Amino acid sequence: MPLKYSLVYKAENTYQAPITRAFWQFLILPEANETQELIQWHFTNDLDETSGLSINGLGFSVIRVHSRKKISKISFTAKFMLVKKEVNPFNFIIDDTPYEKHEALQSIDFRAEHEVYLRKTVFTSLPKQYIGIYSFDQSISIFENLKFLNSWVFEHLYFQSGVTDVYTDLEQIIENRHGVCQDFTHLFCAICREHGIPVRYVSGYLHQGNGYFGDSQMHAWAEAHVPEIGWVGFDPTNNILASSNHIKVAHGKDYQDCAPIKGVVYGTGTNETNYSVEVYASQQ
Amino acid sequence: MGARHDNSLFKSYLKKEGLLDEVFDNTGEAKAIYQELFRLYGAHSISDYVHLNNKAKNSFFNQGITFQVYGENEAKEKIFPFDLFPRIIDSSEWEIIESGSIQRSKALNLFLWDIYHEKRIIKDNVVPLDLLSSSSNYLHQMMGVDPPNGIYNHISGIDIVKHSDGNYYVLEDNIRCPSGVSYVVCNRTALKRALFGVFNHYQAHTVTDYAENLLDILESVKPKGVDNPTCVVITPGMFNSAYYEHSYLAKAMGVELVEGQDLFVENDFVYMKTINGPERVDVIYRRIDDLFIDPLEFKPDSALGVPGLFAAYRKGNVCLANAPGTGVADDKAIYTYMPQIIKYYLNEEPILNNVQTYHCSRPDELNFVLENIDKLVIKPVDEAGGYGISIGNQLTKSEIKAVQNQIKENPRKYVAQPILSLSVHPTYIDKKESFEQRHIDLRTFTLLGKDKEFVLKGGLTRVALKEGNLVVNSSQGGGSKDTWVLKK
Repeated sequence: MPLKYSLVYKAENTYQAPITRAFWQFLILPEANETQELIQWHFTNDLDETSGLSINGLGFSVIRVHSRKKISKISFTAKFMLVKKEVNPFNFIIDDTPYEKHEALQSIDFRAEHEVYLRKTVFTSLPKQYIGIYSFDQSISIFENLKFLNSWVFEHLYFQSGVTDVYTDLEQIIENRHGVCQDFTHLFCAICREHGIPVRYVSGYLHQGNGYFGDSQMHAWAEAHVPEIGWVGFDPTNNILASSNHIKVAHGKDYQDCAPIKGVVYGTGTNETNYSVEVYASQQ
Repeated sequence: MGARHDNSLFKSYLKKEGLLDEVFDNTGEAKAIYQELFRLYGAHSISDYVHLNNKAKNSFFNQGITFQVYGENEAKEKIFPFDLFPRIIDSSEWEIIESGSIQRSKALNLFLWDIYHEKRIIKDNVVPLDLLSSSSNYLHQMMGVDPPNGIYNHISGIDIVKHSDGNYYVLEDNIRCPSGVSYVVCNRTALKRALFGVFNHYQAHTVTDYAENLLDILESVKPKGVDNPTCVVITPGMFNSAYYEHSYLAKAMGVELVEGQDLFVENDFVYMKTINGPERVDVIYRRIDDLFIDPLEFKPDSALGVPGLFAAYRKGNVCLANAPGTGVADDKAIYTYMPQIIKYYLNEEPILNNVQTYHCSRPDELNFVLENIDKLVIKPVDEAGGYGISIGNQLTKSEIKAVQNQIKENPRKYVAQPILSLSVHPTYIDKKESFEQRHIDLRTFTLLGKDKEFVLKGGLTRVALKEGNLVVNSSQGGGSKDTWVLKK
């Protein structure tokens, strides 16, 4: 049965010294795909600055706002209504070829096709001393390996907000063993790429109310490309496969490609962003 | 007639063994195409020449044709030293250079299309995947994007040298924002001012038609649905080393020279602020590097670009020349695959030679390079302007050690080539008040548009002013010469 969600995204930017001109770009619109459909959306800001739709560098829809006023504070509110199909995460034929026998991963066609999502970025490179931190089991399938990896990341890190930020690298995360969904996802991605599995960082919303971690903020998980199956979503923060509770916004190589808010601001001084997310579900 | 000892200008000209002198043959006679020029110049005494030379220099200063050198403590404004004795290329040799330049530009364009789409050349094992995945200039954002009319490198600057074996070799392809074309035009103007008479004796192609051809090419790649495209040149601003060129090209094409703040994007279309209100911009000749064109997509702290520009480009509403992401193909490591790239896409033999190149990323070649540094030129793969180049036979033992360590630290960053013996050309040396042999190269300017191509018949001959020096870049203290391509 399809699920109907309503979402509210709120952000508030404050500037220590007033700014005279600014552009903001919000990567927060749920994407249209075979499992979800955006029915309605509404975006406002308290200063009545003009906004419009555009795309980011990878083609995902974004909302842009432009201001020429002298301001020290602006807040934005986005509301979405969305229908999500019930997703069975196991709805594919399990390919049980053992990892070691998977020639596709080594083939130049496969590696060339997925080159970007095999790239080790700053956030998805394992530090040298941790290269061997997790090894795939050669005798079981790629999918099984990824499920084990998902559980391992979930158990290896402790969810704790406020101890990491968007600049925290993997070395600190592995050493301190705590972080938020984005850190869990970066670690998962780094290990996948280390093993030649293309993987993309996904940003989106998680339906709250099921006791999952990461529900009052935007959520992050990963999609790994499993040969013969395609992209499969793994949520290492919660040790589950992505399901109908996961509402996808965008994907990229890592957090940097998916940052929900980007600002180009003309002015001096520091700024602060606060945001919140609410997700409500109602059975249709 | 023609022996150099009879000629007061070239009396003290020393011809070194083993160098290919483009003007004088082994017996000291001026070569056929230079004989008339030799006679005409010989009519002047050294003091006349000094006077003319100073006049030419002043004309450069007065026109404000200067450039800046980066590094050291501060940037300095300098004139590009100009030599009054021109270089002449006959029509048959030029045909090779011209067709070779077009061939390379077309092959590079097809290569760029391919690596941002199906990557056939990788899947067919012609070019290794590593070269893409390890290149910081390979833009994820350009994958699957179709640039208007399928052109990536509208403007290519190809650096060519004549080796002592008499053949032309390509040193590198520059397809980001190659500069130098304004000097070609200025050199011609300066030489005409100083020695107008000599042009009566030679049928040289004009170089002043570059701007009209560039405009023609830019207009040909207009976005879909546009009839009369508005083109602009965007510059990082007056502090950029090539600002003179940006302003020259805009003026010569009759289009606006703009900075990022003069443009804005609305609903994914680009507009220019004018006193009559916003005017839509369709084609942008951008002289700003990839990562600075749009702070919303690339460097957020850069004020040079236009917020939203990349989205407008992705949607096909504006054409950027050159396209973002071309830098991946002028990487010096990709250079080594040019013969294969030409063959793969065009099914032709390369017209211009490539220089044998060793990749330090390959273990066996790395060892060869480390052991033979004294016989090689070591180049960083991703730097332009002659920065970071080491010429092995000019290094001391401790310098060689330092270079070896640099390479070992980051092998992917370096390639090595045998030290080429670039041809030499008689060049007036201020301090000595006489002509001496100096090494030269040639940068050709090739334009690709929709169903058209153009090579500027002339190009920039650069001179390494330090005796024996092989690096000709202006940022490394090089000068230049007017270059005449003779009509058939």
